Amino acid sequence: MIIAERRPIPKVLKAIEPYEKILVLGCRGCVAVCSAGGDREVETMAAALRLARKLSGRPLETGEATFIRQCDPEYLAPLKEMVRDYEAVVSMACGVGVNLIADLFPEIRVYPGVDTTFYGANPALGEWQEKCRGCGDCILDVTGGLCPIARCAKNLLNGPCGGSQGGRCEIRREVPCVWHQIYERLSARGELDRLMNFFPAKDWRPAGHGGPRERIREDLKMG
Amino acid sequence: MANITIGVLCCHYTNQAGEEDFRGIPGTVILKRYPCSGHIEVADILKTFEEGAEAVLVAGCEKDKCHNLSGSLRAEKKALGARKILEEIGLEPERVRFAFLPRLDTGPFMEEVKKTFETALNMKSKS
Repeated sequence: MIIAERRPIPKVLKAIEPYEKILVLGCRGCVAVCSAGGDREVETMAAALRLARKLSGRPLETGEATFIRQCDPEYLAPLKEMVRDYEAVVSMACGVGVNLIADLFPEIRVYPGVDTTFYGANPALGEWQEKCRGCGDCILDVTGGLCPIARCAKNLLNGPCGGSQGGRCEIRREVPCVWHQIYERLSARGELDRLMNFFPAKDWRPAGHGGPRERIREDLKMG
Repeated sequence: MANITIGVLCCHYTNQAGEEDFRGIPGTVILKRYPCSGHIEVADILKTFEEGAEAVLVAGCEKDKCHNLSGSLRAEKKALGARKILEEIGLEPERVRFAFLPRLDTGPFMEEVKKTFETALNMKSKS
């Protein structure tokens, strides 16, 4: 899922400084699952903003709502009517939600309530770890299901660097060297031959370096 | 002296102190009870400040006595979350107090309420 975390309140306060009535809008997708932008976090953000503004002598009125998703126009549709009562929206969705609101409703002033960080897994309560970089050219079939693009600080494609010591990354001791893990995994399976072919220099265009990515499925389009 | 308001958020099982017990507190007590302290949210704490509290006590049952096993441990973390937000908006984090308390023992509960009132008094005198 997409992982996000609450923005520091002063940053949000600065963005909404001119307004007196705002809507804090949550999303029940990824950001709700990672406890950054669901119903509960909407309530917290709204209360924090109101309290801060009360203290500054410029009270703020807030509305609170949470949509099923903010990355689909059909779920965002009610916003057009809803927002008439407000001067601005603080979206607690990931950056995708904020962008889609900005695309669909140019008249709405929308500001982020979270910082969107990475695609991650939730291995334990309160822990999220990056597992995929969305680079558009998956090599997990060769690397035992462990991604060196997302999990190696240098995105190395052909084995570990000199900073890999005792199976640990030089960036932080608690980070395992993913190339060490890949080697151990394939070695245990008797599949080291998978690593005999060199990966050529990676084409980063599918990773977004060729501009914003889009995917079109004619079989799903209507009209 | 201006009226001092404090908030007390706790679970039904932690304490059932009433108006009589709070009579010794020379201020206003906003009391909010929950089915379990684990149900207390960061927003509930912040809203109590919005309602005028100068300091808020979040009280949960002793660690191994929570009716729902980990409710009071969760409440402690919510109190920490509220402190973090207070700090971000320029309020002293110590305005949020947390205490693990023996169930239904009004003595230690009122001690914490009094300490919370003292905190509120200190904060009010600073402002």
